[in-house]
Amino acid sequence: MRFMLMIYDNPDTRDLVTRPEGRDLMAEVDAVMARLTESGELVGGEALADPSNTRTVRVQEGVPVVTDGPLAEAKEHFGGYLMVECETIERAVEIAAAWPSTRFGPMEVRPVMDPGGMEM
Amino acid sequence: MIEGLLRELAPQVLGVLVRRYGSFDTCEDAVQEALLAASRQWPVEGVPEHPQAWLVAVASRRLVDEVRSDVARRRREEGAAAVALADERSQAPGAERPREHDDTLTLLLLCCHPALSPASQIALTLRAVGGLTTAEIASAFLVPEATMAQRISRAKATIRGRGFAPPPAEELPERMRVAEHVLYLVFNEGYAASSGPDLQRTELADEAIRLTRLLRRLAPRDDEVAGLLALMLLTDARRAARTGDGGALVPLAEQDRSLWDRDAIAEGIALVEGALASGPLGPYQLQAAIAAVHAEAADAETTDWPQILALYGLLERIAPGPTVALNRAVAVGMVDGPASGLVALDAIEGMDGHHRLEAVRAHLLEMAGEQGAARDAYRLAARLTTSLPEQRYLEGRAVRLG
Repeated sequence: MRFMLMIYDNPDTRDLVTRPEGRDLMAEVDAVMARLTESGELVGGEALADPSNTRTVRVQEGVPVVTDGPLAEAKEHFGGYLMVECETIERAVEIAAAWPSTRFGPMEVRPVMDPGGMEM
Repeated sequence: MIEGLLRELAPQVLGVLVRRYGSFDTCEDAVQEALLAASRQWPVEGVPEHPQAWLVAVASRRLVDEVRSDVARRRREEGAAAVALADERSQAPGAERPREHDDTLTLLLLCCHPALSPASQIALTLRAVGGLTTAEIASAFLVPEATMAQRISRAKATIRGRGFAPPPAEELPERMRVAEHVLYLVFNEGYAASSGPDLQRTELADEAIRLTRLLRRLAPRDDEVAGLLALMLLTDARRAARTGDGGALVPLAEQDRSLWDRDAIAEGIALVEGALASGPLGPYQLQAAIAAVHAEAADAETTDWPQILALYGLLERIAPGPTVALNRAVAVGMVDGPASGLVALDAIEGMDGHHRLEAVRAHLLEMAGEQGAARDAYRLAARLTTSLPEQRYLEGRAVRLG
């Protein structure tokens, strides 16, 4: 089963990375990624640019309305994701708990919908 | 045509190589390369007169190249292989290997080694026994090729040095059950996908049937293998009828039974009848027997539900579990009425928050005429499932109830 692990950042967590202890955090991230690669559970993952680079798009009466920045100033924002494949959500939660950013901001673990299904 | 031949030959070639050179890990890589070379050359130059000998020769050459390029690693592996061989001999002193013993069965049981996770067993079986490429397996399981390659090499590392020999006689039944379960999982993955957009995943059902036929040839007296093959054939016979417009799921009761594959049904019924007549009952035989009762009914109304209920009773006795209890509750509902089905449903433990429990509850409530409660249960089931076609189906049922 595939799970998306959604990483939520706040301005403080971004600052953390630039401070000296940030190097240790990045090393931790690399170590977790290496372990997930080695176990064959890592499907993918990306980090997103700072929310200030966002364009928000809505179509109103057939006309696209594009605004700079996210919908609202949020304390926490979606900062990136990991995609893993594992047997249970418990295992996915365990992976999330080992991700260093969860000490500073939350991570959401959600199953990915399967394109197949069984007759009922 | 060539692809089918290559998949057929893959485990035989690997068996020859492992027997000759000892290291499953490196032999498996060499066979993969030989299969790739054949898939490029044979369509252009024609299939060689002795295709198996051709593959063995090419794979052996790759293996020798590999040895030359990495002598040190080879030495370590020879050491491990020698240790494994010594272990094997000390376990069975004086026991001569049966000369006719089948390398392909040994290979399958090694790929389904209990030390491996189900995901690894599946990947390794499809590659080493099925002759599929890593890219094909990765695409069938919707993961990147690098992820699948890693899973396969990790699996090979786990079983490195286990030795290439059939398991001891006392372990064989349990090891056969694991191999059957792996093939069952491959089948289900493919069958579920047949309601989705991905054809490559659908081929997994065909591949599982092909490998189970192979296993049946290797272990013709194992009634559970016959039961498993029958179950797959009887289930797969419904493939064309189980989806409607846009891949929408069609429940068993509403399927157009003229679309069912009558040849597959006849073969499945013959297999399950033979198995049931000959020996001890097993879970696959019983599940196949239930599928056969459905297959024999002209429509949902004339289905022999009392027989299905009796079969689920037997199944619950030899292989109890929440899924069996859930299916039995459906049968109770059909035989004794929805109220009794709901009582049976409430007695099930270990399925809280599972979409199937709520979907069955919804069906039974709908049968009982409790429209509002049925609609709520369908909605809850739709929220709980992680399958897109199931979600659409369940939402559709809820909407139909207004």
